Amino acid sequence: MKALIFSDNYDMAKQIMGRAMQDSQFTLMTTESNEDLLYFGAEKVIFLKGQPVYSCIGETLISEFKKGYDFILISSTTIGRDVAAYVSSKLNLDYMPEVFNYRFDGNKLITKRFSLGGKVVLEEESDAKILTVTPGVGEGIKSERKSLSEELKIPDGPIKVLAINPKQSQGVDIEKAEVIVSVGRGLGKKEGLALIEQLAKKVKGEIAGSRPVCLDYHWLSEERQVGYSGKKVRPKLYIAIGISGQIQHIAGMRDSKTVIAINKDKNAPIFQECDLGLVADLYKAVPKLIEML
Amino acid sequence: MPYNIIVLIKQIPDLELIKINKDTGAPILEGVPYRFENLSKNAVEAAVRLKEKYGGKVTAVMFGNEKGTQVMKEAYAMGVDDGYIITGYTESNPRFTAKVLANKIKQIPHDIIILGNQSADSMSGMLASFLATQLNYPLLSNALKIEINDKTAIASEGAEKFVADETAPLPCVISVTQETNEPRFPPVMMIMKAGQKKINIEPLNLPVESYSKVLSKMAPKSERKRIIFEDMDKGLPEIVKVIKEVVK
Ligand SMILES: Cc1cc2nc3c(=O)[nH]c(=O)nc-3n(C[C@H](O)[C@H](O)[C@H](O)COP(=O)(O)OP(=O)(O)OC[C@H]3O[C@@H](n4cnc5c(N)ncnc54)[C@H](O)[C@@H]3O)c2cc1C
Repeated sequence: MKALIFSDNYDMAKQIMGRAMQDSQFTLMTTESNEDLLYFGAEKVIFLKGQPVYSCIGETLISEFKKGYDFILISSTTIGRDVAAYVSSKLNLDYMPEVFNYRFDGNKLITKRFSLGGKVVLEEESDAKILTVTPGVGEGIKSERKSLSEELKIPDGPIKVLAINPKQSQGVDIEKAEVIVSVGRGLGKKEGLALIEQLAKKVKGEIAGSRPVCLDYHWLSEERQVGYSGKKVRPKLYIAIGISGQIQHIAGMRDSKTVIAINKDKNAPIFQECDLGLVADLYKAVPKLIEML
Repeated sequence: MPYNIIVLIKQIPDLELIKINKDTGAPILEGVPYRFENLSKNAVEAAVRLKEKYGGKVTAVMFGNEKGTQVMKEAYAMGVDDGYIITGYTESNPRFTAKVLANKIKQIPHDIIILGNQSADSMSGMLASFLATQLNYPLLSNALKIEINDKTAIASEGAEKFVADETAPLPCVISVTQETNEPRFPPVMMIMKAGQKKINIEPLNLPVESYSKVLSKMAPKSERKRIIFEDMDKGLPEIVKVIKEVVK
């Protein structure tokens, strides 16, 4: 099998290469510029330069694919998903979105993905040749051998990019944290974070949050969002405080080893997804917990 | 300058109300009502705001089933002028949905097509690009801000690591996200008026295309212990014990 991989995300590029290594030879195309990517087993890494417009990236992928590949793996990011549908349309090849696990069975591809917002897992057989894959599909494995390195200019198209403003990164990586203290809308106010920080310090953990806390209220930065559209985390301990436990949130923390939940509503779905739960007001329970630790 | 805007909307089963059959692990969908898909509401809001700013008309198109009339009425109440439901939706297949929608779109005058970038049920996030590619229009994706200047759309695309200001010539497709806007709650008057407005319902006139064979569809097994305390004095010591096992 020969795979063509596209990712605009350094971490995901490594994860996908780690997965592809199990049964394929592969080339990576990426808009990232980190030369580390040359040491993860790719035959060739093509660094794409220029404006990151999906259709133009798609064109570069299509010309590379025509040199002789069996399938295309694309990281599920905003740009990745647009590239995937573009390439699938133009090449008239079948696709499969949001795959977190795949294997080959003869000519067929067997994939797994979530459906109904994360409530169920769909296992499917298809002729898909273009897959978008989600974080956690594999683990990057360092290789001794250095990949060939190429640079390619992304061609221009009808969409013009006027300006690119990088989002500020605080450089936290909750995906690598062993202990996570995660807060939800139940926190009620940004000032409540002071209390959570004390707890995080006690348990030597990183602070994370649900989507409303990160995206809507901006109490925490986006890179701390756990969930389907945020980070997939797998710490040894995940402490969910004031989080209801909607499926899109669970999808991001399901692989945690132990889950503790504190929520004042005893019917909150998070209590179905925890090992140890406490029905309590967080502003009463957390100070006591800090004291006891 | 007034614009003809098409907004694409989706109805989905109310995810919170889906129960899982404890014996088989299969979801129970019978009797689960449909609701307005989350980002479709942001799309309607974006479309109506453009109409309010520049003038023009908003037409909504849904690929769904007869039950979609309720969602369409909500869209009317939010400010949509005209609506089409194409019935015969059976499963998530964004490439096929794009084909169905593209056929309908070609029959309606349009400058701008707006839709949500990822629906809350299947989350494939591929419809916008499939549609744009099939129509041969540019796509401004994940638009946080949208402006129209004569025959050009200007949008800021929110990607994971950057926000890019982009322009594309009309006609174009624009996908929106949760951060794009806060969908309005229509006033009662609008809701009452919407109830009386005509909805155009048309049957699907293409053979359904499927792209996979489902081998299984089950809730992931949760092996959690689910030991729940309602008494803080009993629960906290247990929590401390578990924390101390991990954090040495
Ligand atoms: C396409 C899409 C993608 C999404 N992706 C994500 C994602 O990646 N991550 C994510 O998290 N969500 C995501 N969501 C949103 C998700 O559906 C939920 O809306 C969200 O997870 C709810 O966050 P929450 O639990 O913080 O808030 P809520 O659901 O409002 O829950 C707050 C909880 O706090 C409890 N509470 C209130 N006060 C207190 C108190 N004083 N003490 C203790 N408990 C208290 C309440 O009982 C309640 O259970 C997505 C949604 C869509 C449509």
